[in-house]
Amino acid sequence: MYIEEYLDVCISGLTNGSVYAMMAVGLTLVYGVSRAFNFAYGSFYSLGGYFAWVLMVLLGLGGGYFTVVLLALPFLMGFGFLTEKAIVAPLRKRSDWEVKVMMITLGLALFLDNGYQVVFGPGMKSLPPIMTGALELGPVYLTYQDAMIFVLAISGILAFWWVLNNTRTGMAVRAVAQNPVGAKIVGIPKNRIFAATFGLSTVMVGLGGILLAQKYFISPMGGWDILVKSWVITAFGGMGSIRGGLLAAFILGMLEAFVGYWFGMTWVLFALFGVLLVTLAIRPQGLMGKWG
Amino acid sequence: MLKITDLNAYYGQFHVLHDVSCEVREGEVVVMLGPNGHGKSTLLKAVCGLLDRVDGAITYKDRDITGWSTEQLVNQGVIYIAETRELFGDMTVLENLRLGAYARNARRMEKRNLARVFDLFPRLQERKKQLAATMSGGEARMLAIARGLMSNADFLCIDEPSLGLQPNLRTEVFHIVKEINRQGKTILLVEQNIPQIADLADRVYVLEEGSITFQGSAEEADSDERLREIFLGM
Repeated sequence: MYIEEYLDVCISGLTNGSVYAMMAVGLTLVYGVSRAFNFAYGSFYSLGGYFAWVLMVLLGLGGGYFTVVLLALPFLMGFGFLTEKAIVAPLRKRSDWEVKVMMITLGLALFLDNGYQVVFGPGMKSLPPIMTGALELGPVYLTYQDAMIFVLAISGILAFWWVLNNTRTGMAVRAVAQNPVGAKIVGIPKNRIFAATFGLSTVMVGLGGILLAQKYFISPMGGWDILVKSWVITAFGGMGSIRGGLLAAFILGMLEAFVGYWFGMTWVLFALFGVLLVTLAIRPQGLMGKWG
Repeated sequence: MLKITDLNAYYGQFHVLHDVSCEVREGEVVVMLGPNGHGKSTLLKAVCGLLDRVDGAITYKDRDITGWSTEQLVNQGVIYIAETRELFGDMTVLENLRLGAYARNARRMEKRNLARVFDLFPRLQERKKQLAATMSGGEARMLAIARGLMSNADFLCIDEPSLGLQPNLRTEVFHIVKEINRQGKTILLVEQNIPQIADLADRVYVLEEGSITFQGSAEEADSDERLREIFLGM
């Protein structure tokens, strides 16, 4: 194997890793703030992909990805927010609500996926590349598409980081995650924060769907792979730890690229779970997770 | 300003407060004394909407506030100031203070209140970039009080502000509470033990086993043999 092939694999790992990072951060945020685990996360990924497909391919909307993302942000935010209000929030007062939330979001996932199949058919849909052409850097061949996906995913993460650290709502989200009672004392409306967090995570995964659908197609059941990967990354990085999730996403993105290159894509999930199991056996709280 | 009538409160199965009635008038510092675990904190939490189940009547500025949520109460100017464990430990002093001003009515006043708080606690200004969890016990206590002041509340419910502090720091905390009162805040404070009660309080209640067993002016409390022995010594 030549060095340039390694570099190609690295680029692929970094590109996917950046999108995984964006999606895993969304999943870990919801868990960290509200202890809710969202089984429909993968279906929200497909939702983003189908949303973009409807706009760009079906309706032939002009303006390309810029318009799509601009419209997707409020759509995904609203969808997530209302989903939380409608099906997650009512369960919160009950006993064992965490398990009930898993069940109801699993139900939502099946509902959505079957809905996609009815509406869009079982076939795969693809999105046009965000940019065509490539940059030749000596021996390395970097497509503008990969570069744009990477840049947009990283921008998404940075924007998310900025919101979390610099806006009043972002501070309130962190406050609820760190100390729910303290947050209540200062008058933070916890329920609205939970819903907003859920909405924000839907944006993260939906944008991930829009970015990755250019390379890997959209299909009614395509979200499950993403749910599993996001979950593995979250557990590997440490449930509720955003830094851990970022680190884990890039490690696993690289691992995926190299395992896929050496042994074929069928071994990717096997390798991911292998690494997860070993990690959790040594460090049950994940790379950067905290107990409790 | 605050009037509590026949309040009964429960922690799960435990009946903690039995028909408690008391009153705080505008501009007063009222101290509720009592041994550990006899319901003092529960009383404050009941007032501040932090308990699930409360029976009885609580009125604030002549409005019935029984059963109101903490969020509503904060917006009405009633704030609970807890011991330090309810701070946001992984956030800076400044972030803690800004979150103290989260309530709608506090936001407009955030700048002014921040300046006031830094006036009152110069240490916090020096340490505004420091994480709350890394502060000393005394500083964290100051931060808890300062965060409460950021809410722009008129009525402060302060839960054992001197708990676990050395004697000189305890005196300092009580001085600050008195200063806050002079600046126009009404205060209901619970403590296990206060040496110079007359310097701080206008009136005193004693809460034992969930019932009020004494009420009177600070001078009356100070001259009561039994109280001096149990709650006012050092």
